[in-house]
Amino acid sequence: MPILETKGVKAYYSTPLGYIRAVDGIDLTLEKGVILGLAGESGCGKSTLVNTLMMNVRPPLRFIEGTIILDGKEISSMDRSMLKKNVWGVLVSLVPQSALNALMPTQRITDLVKDVVMHHMNVSEQEVVSMAKKRFEELNLEVDTLYRYPHELSGGMKQRVVIAISTLLNPKLLIVDEPTSALDVSTQKQVLKMLVDLKRAKIIESMIFVTHDIAVLRQIANWITIMYAGKIVESGLADDMLNHPKHPYTFSLVNAVVTPEPEVRNRGLASLPGEPPNLLDPPKGCRFNPRCPNAMEICRAKEPHLEEKSNRLVACHLVFP
Amino acid sequence: MIPRIIKDLFKIKKLDISLGIFLGLMLLSLLGSIIYPVDPTSVVGPPERPPSSAYPLGTDNRGRDVLAQLIGGIKNSLYIGVIAALISLGIGVIIGAISGYKGGLTDSSLMLMTDVVLVLPSILIMMLIAAYLKERNPIFVSIIIGVTSWPWVARAVRAQMMSLKAREFVYMSRIAGLRDIKIIIEDLLPNMASYIFMAFVLLMSGAMIAEAGLSMIGLGVTKGISLGIILYWAQLFESVRRGLWWWFVPPGACLVALASSLLLMSTALDEYFSPRLKGG
Amino acid sequence: MNPFIRFITRRLAFLLMTFFAFLLIIFALPRAIPGNPLASLLYQIIQQAQSNPDLVKAVYKKLLEEFGMDKPVHIQLIEFLGRLGGGDLGTSIAFYPRKVADLVFSYLPWSLGLLIPATLTSWVLGNLLGALAAYKRKTLTDNFLLTAFLTLSQTPYYWLAMILLYAFAVSFKFFPLNGAYSPGKTPTLSIPFILDMLHHYVLPFFSIIIGAMGGWAIGMRVMVIYELGSDYVSYVDSLGLPDRKILQYVFKNSMLPQITGLAINLGTILGGALITELVFSYPGTGFLIFRALSTLDYPLIQGTFVLIISTLLLANFIVDLIYAFIDPRIKTGYVGE
Repeated sequence: MPILETKGVKAYYSTPLGYIRAVDGIDLTLEKGVILGLAGESGCGKSTLVNTLMMNVRPPLRFIEGTIILDGKEISSMDRSMLKKNVWGVLVSLVPQSALNALMPTQRITDLVKDVVMHHMNVSEQEVVSMAKKRFEELNLEVDTLYRYPHELSGGMKQRVVIAISTLLNPKLLIVDEPTSALDVSTQKQVLKMLVDLKRAKIIESMIFVTHDIAVLRQIANWITIMYAGKIVESGLADDMLNHPKHPYTFSLVNAVVTPEPEVRNRGLASLPGEPPNLLDPPKGCRFNPRCPNAMEICRAKEPHLEEKSNRLVACHLVFP
Repeated sequence: MIPRIIKDLFKIKKLDISLGIFLGLMLLSLLGSIIYPVDPTSVVGPPERPPSSAYPLGTDNRGRDVLAQLIGGIKNSLYIGVIAALISLGIGVIIGAISGYKGGLTDSSLMLMTDVVLVLPSILIMMLIAAYLKERNPIFVSIIIGVTSWPWVARAVRAQMMSLKAREFVYMSRIAGLRDIKIIIEDLLPNMASYIFMAFVLLMSGAMIAEAGLSMIGLGVTKGISLGIILYWAQLFESVRRGLWWWFVPPGACLVALASSLLLMSTALDEYFSPRLKGG
Repeated sequence: MNPFIRFITRRLAFLLMTFFAFLLIIFALPRAIPGNPLASLLYQIIQQAQSNPDLVKAVYKKLLEEFGMDKPVHIQLIEFLGRLGGGDLGTSIAFYPRKVADLVFSYLPWSLGLLIPATLTSWVLGNLLGALAAYKRKTLTDNFLLTAFLTLSQTPYYWLAMILLYAFAVSFKFFPLNGAYSPGKTPTLSIPFILDMLHHYVLPFFSIIIGAMGGWAIGMRVMVIYELGSDYVSYVDSLGLPDRKILQYVFKNSMLPQITGLAINLGTILGGALITELVFSYPGTGFLIFRALSTLDYPLIQGTFVLIISTLLLANFIVDLIYAFIDPRIKTGYVGE
């Protein structure tokens, strides 16, 4: 049984001007023990997707339709209080994109740890603290950090503390949203190592790792999914995908990695002209067609669907005519 | 692109309502003297008449027409509001932009000055200045309000400036050898246009309320009329205790309608331009 | 140096500097404005010399002495600061020979009695309603409350006072028309007098509460929405913390700016509810300031304003002290915007 399985998931931002179709029909299967790398340029909906995958949907975002099955439970039909009680923090945890600001400034780390653990488990304060100390040691974090305020910690330290708090209750699935984008290279390495350690120590089972940086995916992911304009365009085994991209969009993403300047690489797409589409009013046919170097007549008329061929899913008329 | 934005903006109900109220009252003040050509300062009938077909909003204690006063009052209140807002905006944007762009010592000294003015209650300073001026025409009153209301604009513009400055296009302009002033005027300020417009709207509603307050304590314009001046007369001649409601209700209601429609407008724009709805 | 002490010293220096800047404004204005307003006031006083020559001469002499207009400017400034330093706020013209400080303190109790309860009540109500609107944001309740708050916050207290007075004292004669107690009575601590006072108290009290509530509510709503949208809230939300707990966090963080606002508001209380007191002829300091402004009693204007600014800056300093105790960032010397 896969840890996560979704069918036709749609989640739109509701604005006075209409729906922004940030997540528009996602079918995704994540097998147990896999580290899935989810990539795409900024604004493609990847952040929205991972939040939707755990049903963390808050206005203006709205869950429109689809089913999400996490660890055998259909979470897409659960209400918020149910999710908070039995799913979030326990089955699935999020390390948010803004991990550097994720800690409340007027609260010590221990206070947050106590609130989180004691909400989910029936334990005493002392037990929580000793549990947290043990976990911090296990992850090579100074135990002393527990008694600090967030502003006393460095950026990399905050990031690692957030990861430690998110995994305190051994969630089966950990979702990490762009953990490395704001950090320098050596801190990035520490964070990536910590994530790998978590899985090796069996604290977590599977992981979804969101990034716009393909180079990072090479180091950590064993399965890669590429997203463009609210849809999955290609999905497959990491090495195979990166060495033989099939979708023209994946192709340009992978090629961008070769660009030496990190500034350009960070912005994702160097070689691709144009801007990501306006999702209030997405292009007809294939959403990538206005920027696609190989666009054909059919790409402007008909929307391609994800189809499978030798363990690779692609949505492109060029690949599946 | 511009027509698209305007079309989008019209879909926001709050904006439509507030714009409707505001423009309606503005048109009344601009066209009113043509449709209803009565002199607000001359005696046209018997004193203290309630509304009737001859005097749609009645007359005051000396037999002057209240509707005519209202039309003239809205016009002058709007005028003072606009001029005062422009003055505050001018000072605030210049100080904020220079402070945010230059940084360093310039920044700290300008912000120290801003903080000093920010802590002092502007209404007290206004009263102090006004009390020493014998004659106060609308321009004077606008200046008094304008020079005491800018600090929060300066702070906000500075913050915006600092975040914009970090962006790539400013860097590119610098590399291209553009001078600082040129960069501020040509690159940075246009990027803040929507924000500056919102500040203008807020300053204007604040200035109109401040004008009325100054007038009520006898420190408003000494010649001519405004919404505050009508209220001042109404208060001075005991309109409330003598039950002359048509004298003090309409000017206050117009003032509240103008000021709150402006505030509602800025709230609606804020919700539209708010970055939290974008991205994803 | 201890970061706590450093923070406090810096704030103290800033507030003292602000105070000095304000004194300079007060000093410079009558001297810098063209047409010399003081000279023309003196001229007017001489004109009235026929009616009561002795009194006018005394006032004239006192004014000349206090403003020292015949001396060089720097001497004037030193004398001005020296008198203030000695605790002398000047002598009123309109109420000659009463001292400014003495006048303020005799009017002050009425303003304090009116404003402290009214401000606290409107603060509590405004915060509760603002938090409710923020909690229900994007719903009909919020839309209704927000529009009501927006309109209220732009409604001058005094106009509201006029409407209330017209409705409940003129149309329906539930409450008296003016004053703080019935004419002819002398303030005592007897039950009938207190009842009479309360009867006069109702309308001014409510006009201030209703007028001020909108502003507090909008402030609270903005703060709560800001905090609810902050990253730490979405993080603890995604960890499954119950909404009740999250609201506790949010309130804790939203209350700080509101407490600051309240303290600073209470700092200006010395000025009374200026125009509202005028509308109700309520004998507080606001009424006194109006008398000073309308008779151009410059010493009284200066003196009361110096007092108001002093209490305001004091309130600011108290807020700083509270912050220094509450905010861990100050205690540990974390600097930054």
